Amino acid sequence: MINWGQVLFNSAVTGSLYLLAAVGLTLTYGLSKFPNFAHAEFMAFGAYAGYVVAEELHLGFQLSFLVAFLATAVLGAASYLLVFRPLSRRGASIIHLMVASIGLGFFVRHALQQIWGGAPLTFTVSWSCFDVGPVRITTLWLSLIGAALLMSVVMHLILTKTKVGKAIRASSSNPELALASGIDVEKIALITWMVGAALAGVGGLFRAADTRLVPLLGWEILLPAFAVVILGGIGSFYGALIAAYILGLAENLGVVLLVSLKLSTDYRLAIAFLILILTLIFKPSGFGKLFGEGIKPV
Amino acid sequence: MKGSNLSDPLIYVLDMVVFVGIFSILAISLNLEYGFTGLANFGKVAFFMVGAYTSSIAANMGVPYFVCIVLATTLAGFVGLLVSLPALKLRADYLAIVTLAFGEILRFIFKNESWIAGGVRGTTVPSAFLFVNLPIRTMMTVQIILVYSVLLVCYIVAQMLVNSPYGRVMRSIREDELAAQVLGKDVFKYKAQTFTVGSAMAGAAGSLFAQYMRFIDPYTFEPFLTFTVWMMIILGGPANNLGVIVGAFIVQVLERGARIAKDYLLLPIDPHNLRVMLIGILIILILLYRPQGMFKESKVKTPALEVAKKWKKSS
Repeated sequence: MINWGQVLFNSAVTGSLYLLAAVGLTLTYGLSKFPNFAHAEFMAFGAYAGYVVAEELHLGFQLSFLVAFLATAVLGAASYLLVFRPLSRRGASIIHLMVASIGLGFFVRHALQQIWGGAPLTFTVSWSCFDVGPVRITTLWLSLIGAALLMSVVMHLILTKTKVGKAIRASSSNPELALASGIDVEKIALITWMVGAALAGVGGLFRAADTRLVPLLGWEILLPAFAVVILGGIGSFYGALIAAYILGLAENLGVVLLVSLKLSTDYRLAIAFLILILTLIFKPSGFGKLFGEGIKPV
Repeated sequence: MKGSNLSDPLIYVLDMVVFVGIFSILAISLNLEYGFTGLANFGKVAFFMVGAYTSSIAANMGVPYFVCIVLATTLAGFVGLLVSLPALKLRADYLAIVTLAFGEILRFIFKNESWIAGGVRGTTVPSAFLFVNLPIRTMMTVQIILVYSVLLVCYIVAQMLVNSPYGRVMRSIREDELAAQVLGKDVFKYKAQTFTVGSAMAGAAGSLFAQYMRFIDPYTFEPFLTFTVWMMIILGGPANNLGVIVGAFIVQVLERGARIAKDYLLLPIDPHNLRVMLIGILIILILLYRPQGMFKESKVKTPALEVAKKWKKSS
């Protein structure tokens, strides 16, 4: 008998994780016009930063989230200022930017592996868990959903109410016009890279606390994150919001199917891949047009 | 074959020569896609993997090697066509994401399905030259002859392709897709064909690799392998087939150099981490300071150009 309540709750948990992972990716993609493959390593970096605070310095788990957020923001800023902005200024093609992001990702991942080793690390913090009817809930999962909700509300307010948020949307949809209107596009890009990376860092820490901490942590959820970005429409925050939970639901239903077919649940990645391919075939712009956001796929 | 490295330096050098040959085939295949046509294939390793696994499975069933490599090449080309179709009409980044993801999915399949080729435990592969019992040095020489014959074929095919009218359309797609369309070229068809040829060559390289290593497992086909091929192209110079072979040589020296440096300099760093970090940083530096690579794009050799040269000389 399948516990459907649990499946739905798990979908909300998975969706929240993918949302945190994908928001930064879609915003930087829309603004800088290339997919940042090093986004995976932003997640891993945040998780390791949190690990240092919580497990090596014993400063508590709450503080580790703050540190993960800030440390990854710094990494995001450094990546933009040292790698991607100089490349863009020199007129690098989209392919060059993608290759550079992969190079950066490999560098960061193996730097992490050099320092903390490739073996999985675990958090010793224990999470209280309780049952609501047939559904098993842990406080970690609740905080993950809470964090995703909080992030959505705050991002929505920033994007619609503040000057910075409006400038982000303007620079994403038409950089030349934004520049002509007196927006400092490069400053806006820097802010977006910092915020996007920081959110990925927090997502990575949640993932690490829920499973285990390895240098490959971010790489493992990069494919679902890309599926969210493309299904949601590149650069579209609201599209990503919907797409993340669709993907969470699809993946958990898929796991039920895989188990009943006696296949390895590792194939959950294939579900994200399938959604990615179907989006490209039938609606390459994703949900982007629904919200008047996103960049054209051709 | 790796165990014999230390006892005989000559074997080590010959081993490196074989690797340079196999990676040169991969580099030429990616050069057709990226260097000449501007297609971002971030999953080169997937088609290399298709070739390696096809060839090993066939060889383990007793199929002669000549047939194995043909099978590997054909199947890899076909898979390449299938995978590229959904993304070819869109911008370059979509193809990059799809091919990268495909490589990872394929690796997962080979990892989980132990009935295909041993799953995580991998599978042994018979050498192409089982019928003769040769001393190791002779064996290596025979391997080098085999690998470099295939490389030569790939090189000639690639050169003929890019110097033909077909090759000029490839370059025009890279430079300005819209302009190529306006001239009445079916851009989608050219892209799909180029991707198929590129993937087929990668399949041949995979087949050579599997029979040379005599063992393959899913861990051999990490995404980093694709990245090293990109490094060869960007270092050597895109759209220059000789340049990327030089690139393949340099990347091999770098990769092995990192391992040797670790052994002799007693660096307190894991050689694999050092190798990956070094290549990651180098590629960013090249893209920043010398994005055109070491060698310039090769000129198109056409009969008209030859006539023009003669005319210029005589006048």
